[in-house]
This record gives sequence, structure tokens and C-alpha cells, in this order.
Amino acid sequence: MDYSTLRRQITFMKKSFFDQGYLDEQFNQLEELQDESSPNFVEEVVALFLKDSPRLLTNIEHTIGKYPQDFHRLDSLVHQLKGSGSSIGAVRMKNECSVFKAHCNDKNLEGCRRSLQRMKREHATLKQKLESYFQLLRQVAPREHAVNSRK
Amino acid sequence: MDRRRIRVLLVEDEEIHRVVARAVLRAAGVEVEEAENGAEAVRRVRESGAGGGSGAYNLIFTDKQMPVMDGHEATRQIRAMGVATPIVAVSSDSLPPDVQAFITAGANDFTPKPLTKEKLGHILAKFGLA
Repeated sequence: MDYSTLRRQITFMKKSFFDQGYLDEQFNQLEELQDESSPNFVEEVVALFLKDSPRLLTNIEHTIGKYPQDFHRLDSLVHQLKGSGSSIGAVRMKNECSVFKAHCNDKNLEGCRRSLQRMKREHATLKQKLESYFQLLRQVAPREHAVNSRK
Repeated sequence: MDRRRIRVLLVEDEEIHRVVARAVLRAAGVEVEEAENGAEAVRRVRESGAGGGSGAYNLIFTDKQMPVMDGHEATRQIRAMGVATPIVAVSSDSLPPDVQAFITAGANDFTPKPLTKEKLGHILAKFGLA
């Protein structure tokens, strides 16, 4: 794929993340922090989210299955997940975490279970989209580096 | 104020939040030191020559939920040392009771996570560090 086509695809993909409500302004804030001294900053932060989030989702699922229910622990885990998602602008994840927290507050286990399933689906979709996005970015990166080096 | 002379203590246990906040702070030109829990923060403040005044840090950002010692207790202990450095809580919990709990512990302000350039700008201006 030629450079300009790749660039268009990247731009379109990123716009779709915002239009479909997967990401919010925080993602742009991360991109503004990326510079020559930290050229992969956004991908590094997203990688931290994708490292933390599966573990947290697993822990939440494990804790939901325990008896007696530990809503305090569940709230703590989803609090971490919400914070981690907020760091990259993962607005759908963040909103579902808020729903989950409300169910914890109401001690509504069935509500927590349903919310967890939605969180897992959102997470899987977001992960796939972000991985595709960075895969494309990596394809243009060597060309952009070459262009910047000639400046 | 010359931002290169502004020393900020960032108190945060989770790596993703430290990475983002560190980048925001460095982009603003301030010097950043980090503590991964409240106990380490209290130790750093004590060792910085604090006590009876504003101490070595110009500003402290602290999370709430941390192992060993949480942000509320760290704030209380820092205030108990007589340190007047502005303390700003940075937390995902931003309901009024959460904010009030931090203020009661001795924090000066609260901002929801994540820390951004805009939020930092307001905070630096508020405490005369801009």
C-alpha cells in the first residue's frame, strides 16, 4: 500500500474511533505528548492498558464467582479498570465501568454479571481496533522518519 | 515562575497513570519525582527537609487508592509534619464525598484522572506556579 493511501486509512480509522464513541479527547492529548524524545508514547500507554485490562477483567470475573460476594473488592477492581481506560480515552469502557460500579453500590450481582459481559465485549473490540491502528502506524513510521531526517 | 525550578512529587501506584502524568508534567517543564505509595511519599517529603514550612516540593499530586498507605492517610501525615506544600488529589473517584474526604484530610484541591495539560495549567496558575 502506498504512503498516502496508508495515511488516509490511518486518518479514517482514527476518525471512526471517535465517531463511534470508542475513544475521546484523551487519546488526542496522548498524541500531543508524543514527540521525538518519546516517538512511541501513545502505543506504549495503550500497551500498558492492554496489559492491565485483561488481568483486571479476569480478577473481576473470579471475584464475581466467589461466595459470599465481595462488592468492595469488585468496586476496587473496576475502579482500577476505569482509571486505566480513562488514561487512553476508552470512553465506552469507562462508561460501562461506571454502570458496573453502580451495580456494586446496589449490591446487584446479576447487574454486575451483565455489565462484565458488556465490558469484555467492549474490551475485545477496542483491543482489535487499536492493534490494527498501531499496525498501520508502524508501516508509515519508517517513511515518516526518513522524511523528518531529511528536514 | 521559572518552571525548571518547580519540583513536583507524583504519588501514584499504577504504572499507566505514572507514565501519563509524568509526560504531562515534563511537557510543562517541571521537575518530577515519584512515589509509588503514600508511605514512600511521606518519607520523601520528610527527607526533603520539610517541616514547619513549605518543604522541598512545590506541589504534590496524589492518588487515593494505593497499597501500603493510601492518599488520604499520606495527606494527613504530610500535614501533620507541618508541610504547607499544595496537595492536589488526582483520582478516578470524583463524587462529592470522595473530594470532601481529601479536603478533610488536608488536600488543597482535587482533579479527576487523567491529568491533562489543561488541568495542570489551571493548577499551576491556582497555586502561583505558572
